[in-house]
This record gives sequence, structure tokens and C-alpha cells, in this order.
Amino acid sequence: MPVKYAYHPGNVAHSSAPEVADTMDSLARALGITLVPLPGATSCGAGIVRQANRRLQLTLNARTFAMAEAKGLDIMTPCAATAGNLHEDLMTLKSDQILLQEVNETLQRTCGLTMTGDVAVHHLLHAVVDEIGLDKLADKVRNPIDFVVAGYYGPNIQQEGACGGDDVYDPNYLEQLISALGGTPVNWEARTQSVGVPGLFSEDSTVMKQAAEALSEAKSEGAELIVSACNLSHYVLDVYQGKAGRNAGLATNIPVIHLCEMLAFALGTHNNRLALLRTRIAVIGD
Amino acid sequence: MAIVSVYIEEGCITCDACEEILPEVFHVTDDTCFIHAEVRLDGGYDRNEGKAGLKPETLASFEDDLLDAADGCPVDVIIIVESGEAAAAEPEEAAAPAVEAAAEPMVSEPIEVAGDDIDELLSVGDRSLAILFGSQSGNSEELAAKLAKQAADYGLEGTVYDMDGFDFSSLSGMKRVLIVCSTWGEGEMPDNAEDLWQISTKSPAGSLSGVHYSVCALGDTSYELFCESGKEWDEQFEKLGATRLVDRVDCDVDYDAPAAAWALEALAALAAVDGAGVYHEDMVEAIKAHAAGDVGGADGEDGFSVPVLTAAAVQAELSIFRYDPEQASTGSDTWVCAMPGNLSLLEALRTIKSTHDGSLSFRDGAADDPSTAICVNGRLVLPGMIRLDAVAPNRDGVLSLRVDPLPGFEVIRDLVVDHWPMERRRESTEPWMVAATREGATTMQGPIGVMDPNVASALHSITDFSSAALLQASSDAVPHANGYLGPSVLASAWARRNDPRSSHSSVASLDSILGSPNGIKAETDLASIRRQNGSGVVISEALLDARTHVLEQDAFTGRHGKHVWWYAWTLKSSGKVNDTVLYRQVLGPIGLIGNLTSGVTARMMTGFTRTGGDMFYDMLAMVAPPAGFGKMPRQFNSSVENHHEVVAIFNELDGRF
Repeated sequence: MPVKYAYHPGNVAHSSAPEVADTMDSLARALGITLVPLPGATSCGAGIVRQANRRLQLTLNARTFAMAEAKGLDIMTPCAATAGNLHEDLMTLKSDQILLQEVNETLQRTCGLTMTGDVAVHHLLHAVVDEIGLDKLADKVRNPIDFVVAGYYGPNIQQEGACGGDDVYDPNYLEQLISALGGTPVNWEARTQSVGVPGLFSEDSTVMKQAAEALSEAKSEGAELIVSACNLSHYVLDVYQGKAGRNAGLATNIPVIHLCEMLAFALGTHNNRLALLRTRIAVIGD
Repeated sequence: MAIVSVYIEEGCITCDACEEILPEVFHVTDDTCFIHAEVRLDGGYDRNEGKAGLKPETLASFEDDLLDAADGCPVDVIIIVESGEAAAAEPEEAAAPAVEAAAEPMVSEPIEVAGDDIDELLSVGDRSLAILFGSQSGNSEELAAKLAKQAADYGLEGTVYDMDGFDFSSLSGMKRVLIVCSTWGEGEMPDNAEDLWQISTKSPAGSLSGVHYSVCALGDTSYELFCESGKEWDEQFEKLGATRLVDRVDCDVDYDAPAAAWALEALAALAAVDGAGVYHEDMVEAIKAHAAGDVGGADGEDGFSVPVLTAAAVQAELSIFRYDPEQASTGSDTWVCAMPGNLSLLEALRTIKSTHDGSLSFRDGAADDPSTAICVNGRLVLPGMIRLDAVAPNRDGVLSLRVDPLPGFEVIRDLVVDHWPMERRRESTEPWMVAATREGATTMQGPIGVMDPNVASALHSITDFSSAALLQASSDAVPHANGYLGPSVLASAWARRNDPRSSHSSVASLDSILGSPNGIKAETDLASIRRQNGSGVVISEALLDARTHVLEQDAFTGRHGKHVWWYAWTLKSSGKVNDTVLYRQVLGPIGLIGNLTSGVTARMMTGFTRTGGDMFYDMLAMVAPPAGFGKMPRQFNSSVENHHEVVAIFNELDGRF
């Protein structure tokens, strides 16, 4: 049976992470996943909008759920922050029928939409492991990711009910997936810890230390590469890598790629990008 | 119905009438009447309140005499028990007055439990346990009191007796006895035990034939005669015909551990003695498991069977963080062992400490002691509250556990962390109630302050976290943010801030604390708090409310306020977040220059060198650089489909943006 999802690209794929958009397209084709766009879907709020108005973020996400329900599809996203935030809001709405009714009234007045809650939110990682299966994935590998790889989950998808069949506190889906792609996974503590993305603009000193510790730990555990299941966290781990290292006085230089990039590379797409990655790993390697 | 037993109620006037009629069964003492041990199935010598059955030959020979004795008793304290009554569950029903003799004598069945039903064994019939102490310094008395309390776990009703003034003859009617006795001077009995000892030495052999016992001897190995009193009691009880169920333990000055180990064995063994005085040795192990909480399944009233909660041994690999402050050395030690899956993690640590490495340090205490919190495979737990087989997933047949001290705290030794800095932060928030004068409800007892139950419930839920240290450690920002008060301190402050009893000045002070640089804005990601432990969701939502409150108080000024404000603003503008606007509005010119000098901007622009993507991914690179280069965010976003719906939602719910 073909795997089909309503696709939410997350918050940065349209802007500062075009590589996500590029690789998700080819990855979906390679895996045989049909991604049905949700052109009306808004940003998930990233946990920021709810700091101003919790009902506002809930209602915006309820609109996204209603659009997915109308297509009869579950939502899938490559970003852990988006998956976590959408899942959290979906659970909030499903657990409070009065709230759901009030939100639906607002949706009905403003958009002519309503939601029932008959929808689920999946992260790319859980869709691949739980729906596609690691055996099938391994069969499709064309370019083994023969590196020592540290898989970063972040805290958003490691919530009860949001991580598929994986363990909340001691996950290993990413490690299994890395192995299936031919890589060697690293066991490291920071993999489920936050690197402080919501505080990037306001608490940059703390965030830099958080990011530096994660990067440094991955390196010290022998990783040649970090693969991030969270596109927002990837931004901090990659773009702010140098600043974090200088601020914390730690060695932080290590390639960081998105999960969808690693999958796409392994499945034989974007070979030139994989070649560049190999070069970077060879150059950076300690 | 046939006669099966006879017993004496309280109130005997020692008139000797019964003994004159049937001396083979009744023996009148100074203050009551006993049933001879020779005629009883349990071999006991007392009033037979446990209704132990009489031997068949006695019943066959003396049934009429028994009835005559009961009839002849002037105060009606001789109670004849017939077979139907013996089966009655309630003692009151069993203690029916004597009835007419049955037409034909019958061989009676002893009153004892089957022995294969643990619930019946631990609840039916006489479950008394006498704990005698001989004490000079008070240690034996203290230990005896502990044993009495512990006895309840084994279905026993423990009663502590001071040896001083104890009626030795009453021992013969007891089925279970524990002796706890210290040794004084050069092998002497403690003062309170001396008289009883002298009486015991004059008692005839076999007088304690129905008694089951064990002895805990306290002493000091620095004396030549170590635990001599306990040894003497042990031998004397044996001489008098009592049955030793568990070997005596001889304890040195540090008696806690050996005495505790002995108690586990002795109480379980004595609990296996049923109401009729029969010892069910095969039930001892089951009783131990029962007392440890490993209860079997029970049938519910509706016929639903609760599954039996047992756990197989798990192959565990425990890698425990070690830190030696004297050597300033860190590392980890790994033990591979098989342990029962239902063992708590705290019990597992205790086992390792007692059997493998006594230097292992961790905070010990009651199962729910909040200070015992540790980190296991990234999960923050109270180790006494979680089973070994539930703390982490068992993969490939091996439970691999990485046990670390709580993150965000200084380590004192191994798993022991210093909670003091957290307490100092709590102290800095003046964590006491400064109440306002309020109108109270007038009651019969005078005016009483009242609180809306919903408010009370909400406030309680915020502060109802199992461990302040555990909650504090759940924030991934705490280890890195100097001065940050942390979630446990802030949750308490937020609860007091919303407590209707707080005074205006207190609320203002708490608002100031919450809004300070070390307050709620210093938390970089509430998701890390939300995911940990049961109260994480409630606390993270309360802290989210606190943050909203603080941001609104500041009118969304400052970097934090601007970040939230402009994020929402860009979302309303196009339905997507516009990072360029955020950088410009939140960081301002100085922040942007900082990004330039720190290399952040350069890494954005050169992103294509890392991703292998296009150098120019958008026409903006030609008209409004640096947007459009590498990984620089776009300056302008296309709007989502039906963007007007997004605007309508904003307008309806929040007109500020």
C-alpha cells in the first residue's frame, strides 16, 4: 500500500534551509512516499507564538489539522520541533472537548473549517522506521553512509506519544536507521537535550553553551557527522557552530546535516552533495 | 455436630471444679485454667483461645466429661467448640456457648489452614507474635519495637514484652516468640531479664513444647563472652522443648544490618506457623515474597482476575558514574548482574553497594525521598519509585543502564549531588507566604479564610512535583545559565504569585523575580521540562503562563518580548515565519554587527559550501543581498494559501499583532 502523507515542511525549509526542500522531494520519490502539500498550512508557532497567546497558536494549528483531515491524511514533517509542537497542540485539543468546540467555532467563523481530531502527526524518522521499515530502507541503500554518525533527536519529539514506537527517554530509532544506512551510530547523552532554539535571540549566551556542549560531546564520542532530526536545532548546530565553540572554548567543528539529507544521500540522490560531505568530513576529521 | 475443641474464656475464678471433673484436660493455675498440652493437637499449654483441636483419643474418651465440666462451670467460661463452629470465620461466632453433646462421638479435624493459600495462612486464626526484649542500654527494646512494626507485613500481630515482670508461664500458650537480648558486662543478663531467666531455668522440660522461636543476640566482640545472654536464651528455649525455626544471630555493635537480615528470615518463618501451631515450611519463601510486595493476583468482585505481578530476573549492565573528590578522578564502573525485574533501582544500588562496592555513594532514603533523584539513560527518576525492568527499554535481552548524578548540580561524590545552590536560589525568592488581610467566611468557629476550590486545585498542581531537585534538573538550560533560578524555584514562585492570599507587595516582589534576567525568561526551552516525569506537563504549562504574564508586563519589549512579538507578527503577515524580520527587529543593528563579527552571517552566506546547494537560491541575491545567498533567510515570504483566513484568526483572537 503506498504511503501517503499531508506534508508540512516545517518552519525553515522555505527560507534558510532550502536543502530540506531539495532533499525531501527526492527522498519521497526514492522511498515511494507520496507527499501531498498543505499549501495553506501556517508555521507551527515553534512554541513561540503560544508565549504570546496560547489559544492563537492552537487555533492556527487546528486550521492545519482541519486541512489534513479534509484530505483524509495524517501529517508528516521532517522537523522535530514542528512535529512536537503540532502533536502537543493536537493532544491538547483532543483531550478537551469544550476547548475543541470553541476552537472549531472560531475556525468555522474565520475559515469555514472544523476539525475532529481524526488525524495524527508523524515525524519523518517515525514514518520511515514504523511505516516503511528499516529492512526495506536497507534494501534501497545505494550509497552507504559509512561514517561514525551522532544522531540528534532534540526534546520536542521525545515526548510521550510523539515518538512513534521509540522510547521517550532512551530512543534508538535514529541509531537503528544510521546502522541500516551503513553508518556507525554513536551513543551520546546530548542527543535528546535541547540546544535552546526558542531562546536563540534572547538568551544567546546560554544557547551557545548548550549547542557547544552537544557538538563537543558528539565529537568526543568519535562522531564524524551529526544528523539532526530537528531542522530548527540544525540551524543552531550548523550556523552558530563557530560562535558556540569560541564562546564555550570547546571544539565544535563537525558537519551537521538534516535527517532528510542523510536519507536522500544514502538512497542515491544528490551524489554531488554526498561527495562534498565526504570531503568535509575528511578535511575536518580530527 | 461433634466436639472438636475446648477453650477457656477470660473470667475464670479458679474454683477447681473442672479439674476435679476432668483433670486429664483441665489444669487450674493461680489465675486461670489451662488446657493440658498432652491432649491438644498443637501441643500448646494455655487457655486455648486459638481453639486448637483436641486429640481424637481425648475426645473419644472424655466427651461426656467435657460437657459435664462445661455445665458445671459456675461462671460459664468453658466453651465447647463443635465442628460446624470451628469452620466459622468470625471468632465471635465460634465462641458460642456450650451445646448439648452429639449423639455419637466423632473423630475431629484439627483447626489448621491448608497451608497452600498464603492469604488464609496469614490471616486466619491466632496470628500473635510475642517479642521479648532484655535490654540494658535500650538497643534491644528499640529493635523489638521495630520488629513489632515489621511483623504486620507478615500478617502477624506483634506485641513487645519487657522481660522484667513477664509471666513466664504464659509463654507455653504462645506459638511464636522472638527473643531480643543484649549481654551486659562479662556475659551477664541485662537487669530487666535476670528474674525471667532465673524462672526459666526452673521450668520443667517440655513446658514450651508448642512454642516456635528465634533469638537475636546483641553484644560486643570486644568482650570475651560475646552475646552470651542471647546464646543462653537460645539453649534454654531448646531445652524447654520450643522449636527453633531460624538460627540465632549474634550481632556486634553495628547490629542494624545483621539484625535486619535475621528479621527477614525469622518473621517469614514464624509467619508460616498457622493458628493451630503447625509450621508450613514450604510457604516461607512465598511469605517472603508476599511481604516484599510481590503479591499474587487476586480475583475481583466482578470475576476479573488481576494478573500476577511477578518479574523474571533481568540481565542488567549497570554503568555507574564515579567521582572521587579526594583523588579528583572521574569515570564509571560497570557491573553486569542478574537481578529480579521488580527490584527497585534504589534496591539494586543498595545491593551493589552491599555486595560489590561499599564505597559506592548515592543518596539513600525512603522510596519517594525527593533527594534521592538520579539520572538513568537520560531519564530523571526517583530510584525507589521505579522498577529495574521499567526504567529503560530492554534491548537484545540486556538492560543497559547508564546511571548518572542529576545534571545541573555539582557532584559531591559518585551519584551524590549538592542541592545547596538550588536551595540558595529558592531562599533568594523569599519562599514564604506574605499574606494580605482578607475577608473571611463567618463560621461557628469564627471567621475562616476561604479559597475557590478550582484556584486551590490549580495552585496545588503547580507545586505538586515529586522532587524539587528532579524538576530543577529537567531544564536543559540550568547547567549553562549562570544565576537562572530554575523551574522548581520559579514554579513555586508562580504559585505564590497567583495565590489569592498573597499580599500586593508580595505579588509585586514575585513579579519582579519572575521577570528578572534570572527569572522565567532565562529558560531557553520548556520542551525539555515538559518531557520529564509525570508533573512535567503541568509545570511547563504553568511556566508558559508565567512567561506570557512577564512578557505582557514588559509590553513585549526587550529581546525576548520582541522575538515573540515579531514571530507572531510575521506569521500574521504571511502565515510563515520570516527570519530576516526577526533578526532585524530583535537583534537590532548592534546584534546584526555581532553576527557579522562572530562569523554567524558568514556561515549563513556560505551555507552552499556545506550543503552543496546553489550559491544563489533566489533572485533576492541579485536585488537585496545578502538574502538569497547560501542559507541566508529570505527577506520576503510568499503567503500561504488562503492567507486571509490566518489574518481573520489573528483579528478574532488577538488584535495586538
